[in-house]
Amino acid sequence: MELDREKALSAIYHCVKCKLCSIASFHPGDEWLPLCPSGQYYGYQAFYAPGKMEIFRAILEGEITEPSEGLLNAIYACTVCGACYEKCKQITNVELGAPELFEAMRHEIATKGWILNEHRGIAAKIKETRNAYGEKYKYDAKSTDSNADVLYYIGCTARYRVPEIADAMLAIFNKLGIKYQVMDEEWCCGSVLFRTGQVEAAEELVAHNVEEIKKSGAKTVVFTCPGCMKTFKNNYPDMGVELVHATEFLARRLGNGMNLNKDDMKVAYHDPCHLGRDLGIYDEPRAVLSEVAEIKPMKREREQAWCCGSGGGVKSAYDGFALWCATERLKEAREAGAEALVSACPFCKRNLREAAEKEGKGTRVYDVVELVNKGLAAGKSNNF
Amino acid sequence: MGMRLIEELRAIVGEENATDDIAICTSYSRDQHWHFVPAKNPAYVVRPGSKEEVRQVLMLANREKIPVIPYSTGINVRGLTIPVHDGSILLDLGRMNRIIEINPEMKTATVEPGVTFGMLFEQTRKYKLRPAFPDAPLTVSVLVNYYLRGIYQTAATDGHDHTISYEMILPNGETIKTGSRALSNMPYFRYGVGPDFTGIFCAHPGTCGVVTELTAKLYRLYDNRKTYFIGFDDVSTPQKFIYNLMYDELAASIRLVDNQSWLKGICGTFDYPYEELPKFVLCVLIEGIDGIFEAKDKLVRAYIKESHGKVLELPHEFATTFKHESLGGAEKSCMVFGLEGKGNYHCIGFYGPLKLAARYYEAHEKTALEVGIPANNIHFYLDPISSFHGQLCYFELDIFYDGSDPEFGAKLRSYNDKQFHKLLDIGIYGWFRPYAGIIEPTVERIGYLSEVWKKFLRVIDPNGIMNRGKLF
Repeated sequence: MELDREKALSAIYHCVKCKLCSIASFHPGDEWLPLCPSGQYYGYQAFYAPGKMEIFRAILEGEITEPSEGLLNAIYACTVCGACYEKCKQITNVELGAPELFEAMRHEIATKGWILNEHRGIAAKIKETRNAYGEKYKYDAKSTDSNADVLYYIGCTARYRVPEIADAMLAIFNKLGIKYQVMDEEWCCGSVLFRTGQVEAAEELVAHNVEEIKKSGAKTVVFTCPGCMKTFKNNYPDMGVELVHATEFLARRLGNGMNLNKDDMKVAYHDPCHLGRDLGIYDEPRAVLSEVAEIKPMKREREQAWCCGSGGGVKSAYDGFALWCATERLKEAREAGAEALVSACPFCKRNLREAAEKEGKGTRVYDVVELVNKGLAAGKSNNF
Repeated sequence: MGMRLIEELRAIVGEENATDDIAICTSYSRDQHWHFVPAKNPAYVVRPGSKEEVRQVLMLANREKIPVIPYSTGINVRGLTIPVHDGSILLDLGRMNRIIEINPEMKTATVEPGVTFGMLFEQTRKYKLRPAFPDAPLTVSVLVNYYLRGIYQTAATDGHDHTISYEMILPNGETIKTGSRALSNMPYFRYGVGPDFTGIFCAHPGTCGVVTELTAKLYRLYDNRKTYFIGFDDVSTPQKFIYNLMYDELAASIRLVDNQSWLKGICGTFDYPYEELPKFVLCVLIEGIDGIFEAKDKLVRAYIKESHGKVLELPHEFATTFKHESLGGAEKSCMVFGLEGKGNYHCIGFYGPLKLAARYYEAHEKTALEVGIPANNIHFYLDPISSFHGQLCYFELDIFYDGSDPEFGAKLRSYNDKQFHKLLDIGIYGWFRPYAGIIEPTVERIGYLSEVWKKFLRVIDPNGIMNRGKLF
């Protein structure tokens, strides 16, 4: 996260501004499919990766010394989804490291105090309540065995905004007879702070969560939130425990005593950016989901998935943009012939569901674990 | 007290579509050519959504004598959209991105400036038609690329003069229409309405006005296609073979590339032992309707036998990529930007006769080595162009390099200074791009034509607002 100025400038100077990063692979389908949500929505060059890099260059080279409204919007109205760099890598092999570069850029400017009020507000809420939503009540979950090898790290969004995901995951553990722990004092993982450049504010959270997990003696930490998992993997010290996403955890059990009942529902699978592009987990969610529903492929998937629009601090500061991104994704799911859009991330589900409710076209939104829980309820034998 | 300029601009295009924000303006301050054209911010970025808004912005700029830089996608522009003067208005035309008409009967497309080659081909292929593609990413603007030069060569048979007619708004707010567009609502013919005005406004280092709508030719897509890759050790040996293919009009695409640069792009992967192939590879693509296709293939195979080249057995997917990149828009071939992770490339693109190919290549290598550019950074390709009168070919003298290396940038500037003159001395037909650095030594050599050119621009743009400072 610390900015290496020379490295950053070198990356910036390696971009030839071809803007192929703004569209999904054209051949052989020969279809024009936008890939950069912020560029597509806002239009100015500043909102595409090459333009952002130019702004960063100007900051590093001392041409920009004050935070303008346009600067804050160009930098923060970006979901840091990483689609641009995935495309660039596929074409050129050039080492730009765009998402990391953009996060370093945010840290650099946040250090100068150039930060959005909405993001300051989240940091304040976290400081006060230890969760990103400022909620003062506790999500009701209890460990089934305080010495269990498995610890479920629930995350702020599944605890306070889409609890049906946490409910489903806990129910799955119970149905599969898997003993688990949840943390008595689970604090926000700090993802939103890292993503919005407020790195120092996350230090206390990291220290607390590391201490609690070490104390638990758990060997495996299961996440339903890829944002939390990415933060643990990239921003936390190695705790000597296995970090797995729920879909990985469940995929290991396919054909191994976990019986799932398949619904005839046609669904599209939305790759969460943190799970796919950041953690490289594409196959496991599909393997699990295909056991409970019929998957209809969308045009933009895997490395070139269209972002749901809620990451990188966008949902809190630019809700209109976030919902537009989600609406685009819902349209794509329907075009694929899906009745429902399924993700594997509470943050995605929250934004997609809100957009679906607003557009009122009947597209349902689920998390993979919800459908697995439903499939397990009808199952026969689920013993481990 | 009058309104501030930004307020006047916002009154024309709407609050959200005009800005003087330093960060937004900075994002337009540099393009790929920064080693030659330094970064400079426009003072305003304006995004008109209609012809009427373009007209009003131009009239305002003309009244206030403010330089205007039209901009569509900002890609591959060699400094052409970087301001020269303080206080410039950058006119970002990206919002004007309608495909106004695809006319399969006429084999034409009419587009606005924000339409890219990818966007257009997505639609034309439904009619088994395609535009003539540049060797630029398919994210570039169709209108601007055709207006800039109107000649492309990824498919040799496309020839030149892809632009038929257009509509342009001048600095004084008047609209002119070229070709048959001036006479009727049939914009499908270029000539016959007085002089060739379609040509006279093209290929300036700046623009004469803002082109808001352009009609271009489309070309057939054939189901029958076949490719050959033939290896040669030098540039001279394949010349007779290329000549025969062009003279008999046998191949859709004919590209002589070196095995370390564009061949990788044409094949679509870095992961192949290209160094084991002959140094130059001729990539040939044949297409046509039943009967003609087979006949062409038979003749091509006969010419291959007498070419002294080596037919290369490359993986099947290489042929597929070659077909896509030549006749469907450049995407994978842009991987050349990443040769050895370097991230930039410099090229001198120009037109000349095939018979001078070896001399151009020799001069390229010699000059580059003289200024200290390592041999493995020096690359080359040529594409012949129908109908091959004057043995017309496009040549590209390439240097792939690390964009973050300022010392290499200095070497490239030195290379340019020498090479422009050397090429003019050897003899060329003309340049691919009229960009800064290349156009000045050219103007010195064109005699009274340069005076006429200046006077012409003064008539069209008396206040000199269109891309002021790009040449005169």
